[in-house]
Amino acid sequence: MRRIGIWIAAGGLLLATAACGGGSGNGSAGTGGTPKAQSLSVGFVAEPANLDFTSTEGAAIPQALLVNVYEGLVKLDQNGEIVPLLAEKWDVSPDRKTYTFTLRENVKFSGGAPFTADDVTFSLDRVKSDWKLKIKSQLDVIDKVEKKDDSTAVVTLKRPSNGFLYSMATRLGAMFSRTGVADLANKPVGTGPYVLSSWRRGDSIQLAANPSYWGTKPPLGAITLKYFKDATAMNNALLTGGIDVISSVQAPESLQQFADPGRFETVEGTTNGEVVLSMNNGRPPFDDKAVRQAVRHAIDHKALLDTAWAGRGQLIGSMTAPTDPWYEDRTGDYPYDPAKAKQLLGGKTYNVKMRIPNLPYAVNSAQVVKSQLAQVGINAEIEPLEFPARWLDQVFTKGDYDLSIINHVEPRDMGIFADKSYYFRYDNPEFGKLLAAADEGTEQEQTDDLKQAAKLLSDDAAADWLFLFPNLIVAKKGVTGLPKNAIAESFDFTALAKQ
Amino acid sequence: MSRRTSAKANRGRMNAGLLAGGALVALVVLTALVSFFWTPHDPTLVDAAGKLREPGGGYLLGADKFGRDTFSQLMVGARTTLYVGVVAVGIAAALGVPLGMAAGMTPRGWLSELIMRVNDLVFAFPALLLAVMLGAVYGAGTLTAMIAIGVATVPAFARVARAATLQVMVTDYILAARAAGRRRGAIALRHVLPNIGSMLIVQASVSFAIAILAEAALSFLGFGTRPPTPSWGRMLQESQELLFSTPRLALWPGIAIALAVLGFNLLGDGLRDFLDPKLRRIRAER
Repeated sequence: MRRIGIWIAAGGLLLATAACGGGSGNGSAGTGGTPKAQSLSVGFVAEPANLDFTSTEGAAIPQALLVNVYEGLVKLDQNGEIVPLLAEKWDVSPDRKTYTFTLRENVKFSGGAPFTADDVTFSLDRVKSDWKLKIKSQLDVIDKVEKKDDSTAVVTLKRPSNGFLYSMATRLGAMFSRTGVADLANKPVGTGPYVLSSWRRGDSIQLAANPSYWGTKPPLGAITLKYFKDATAMNNALLTGGIDVISSVQAPESLQQFADPGRFETVEGTTNGEVVLSMNNGRPPFDDKAVRQAVRHAIDHKALLDTAWAGRGQLIGSMTAPTDPWYEDRTGDYPYDPAKAKQLLGGKTYNVKMRIPNLPYAVNSAQVVKSQLAQVGINAEIEPLEFPARWLDQVFTKGDYDLSIINHVEPRDMGIFADKSYYFRYDNPEFGKLLAAADEGTEQEQTDDLKQAAKLLSDDAAADWLFLFPNLIVAKKGVTGLPKNAIAESFDFTALAKQ
Repeated sequence: MSRRTSAKANRGRMNAGLLAGGALVALVVLTALVSFFWTPHDPTLVDAAGKLREPGGGYLLGADKFGRDTFSQLMVGARTTLYVGVVAVGIAAALGVPLGMAAGMTPRGWLSELIMRVNDLVFAFPALLLAVMLGAVYGAGTLTAMIAIGVATVPAFARVARAATLQVMVTDYILAARAAGRRRGAIALRHVLPNIGSMLIVQASVSFAIAILAEAALSFLGFGTRPPTPSWGRMLQESQELLFSTPRLALWPGIAIALAVLGFNLLGDGLRDFLDPKLRRIRAER
């Protein structure tokens, strides 16, 4: 009995120091086979369920494969501009309904088949017929896709659309081989600079340089994407040399560990991820605009960012990111003003449920939001739900929540507020009209309309925007070519190198 | 002579353990009780200006990254810990003791077999896994954690209760009671339970220590007490990323957990020595 007692007491101390020991795991997986200077190992937090982004939701798959293994006709560069990739150039007809893409010559799929206009028609038709994602509706605007000759493809739209070309730079525009879609979940076949060499489930994905790549060969021979369940484990792996790069820091307070400039380098850029405090517009008490406005006034966003995410990130105030052409700083719409908030609530108090995903940024932010809402008379009970499964089911699908907090990472995603069945349950026809007009109008009209739409969302207090998620990368000294901004869907490995 | 010396040594040790354990447990209980009426600061109030405040100036142990007072959080955390311990051990005892006694009083019957084999089955299932599973299905929270820890501790109580009951059942006074025609229920309540009580108290004390550790582990994993209610396990978890820059944030809850667990274990050990009839007899002989 006595011995058991001591072991249990020791267990308490062990728990206290568990953070030191855990996680360095089975060391560097990227060094096998190829010479060390030729490969890099990059740490990520969420492993993809499979490798098929045409049928499985989730950001982890395009993050690993798009641009690296699969390529589209166009891609987004680091500034958010659309630049040519598999299309050398494209012409837009005067009525803005016909896009003629001139394809690059001598492009081959990793399976050996040449890339031609037939693959363009095949891939884009396939979006409509086989894809299972919600976002595939973005390409509903396509009327038909035709092959003019082997190196020319013509896309005709039902109406002019500003969003079309942008969507083509996302996973929706990825080019598939007509002979390479049999087993997308395990065997991706693309034209990109890398090919999948192995996938150890629950641990890592290995990419190897594609020997027959059409463009500039990537500097590295191999890349290992190593997946971690826990932010601290990933930090420890970098400290002990298990990985070379942390793709996205999930514990910003820990950055001090990497402060030594002789060993590490920190890159801080921007993302498209709006961390949204969602309010259920469809049921009391947040169906009342005054209550929603009170929430926005009650939250001290600067204090929230400083405490919940170590001051990293940016305050935004609506559903657009600073890299969008129509971005305006809307943080002034609802300044921190608890007295005003109380006045809007009219002295009433509310009990609400804040059902959040069990992710670090959400759990941290929720505690600050709860504390600040309590000051004005809104008592929010925090309930962390397992992410993704339970949160998606309860909050996202069934809409059973009052408040929630989630990082909406998709680029240019203001349109989700136009869908009144979306879990915000926001319903304002005016907003939908603005978005439709923006998509059909000229570029200037688009910018103006979307500015108005963002202002409308903010004025209506359709939600509260806590902060813009930062892109924080930490790498060993000597690693170059890191993508500073995470504004596209992929983690671009093409320029990654090691000195 | 040798017997006497060992008894003397034994008694000295058991008193030290009992006293130290009792003192630690009393400290935790007292802290928890005081936290109901007074804490230096509101333990859940976020104060950006006081982020990572150094100890001193009304903040005895400093503040965490949310500017919350660490000492106040520790105090309320003691309450959470005891609450989970009491309910979990309560569930375990309320289910385990009657089952164990029933099995002990009918040693050769099918009922005994059934109870003890189901018992083995539950015993083989790790408490933490059960709690994580319940948390995933019904939502994480203090209640699910308490129920899971409690249910997983049932077999320990059932086994101790059964073993003790078997010993008691062969004594003369039970034989006398049966000969006098007392009903089984009455025998269980009037004769068996009081005589196995001391062993159950020891078991409760040790189980309490295990429950504290389990609650801390669950909160650490995010399956325990919901934020922002202070809990020692979650304090540890939240201080993880600051382990290198502000190690005190992990140190204090770690020490609190270790002391509480140590306290209940020492208390259990001390009580066992103190209440053990054999040791009592040795003392009586002297």
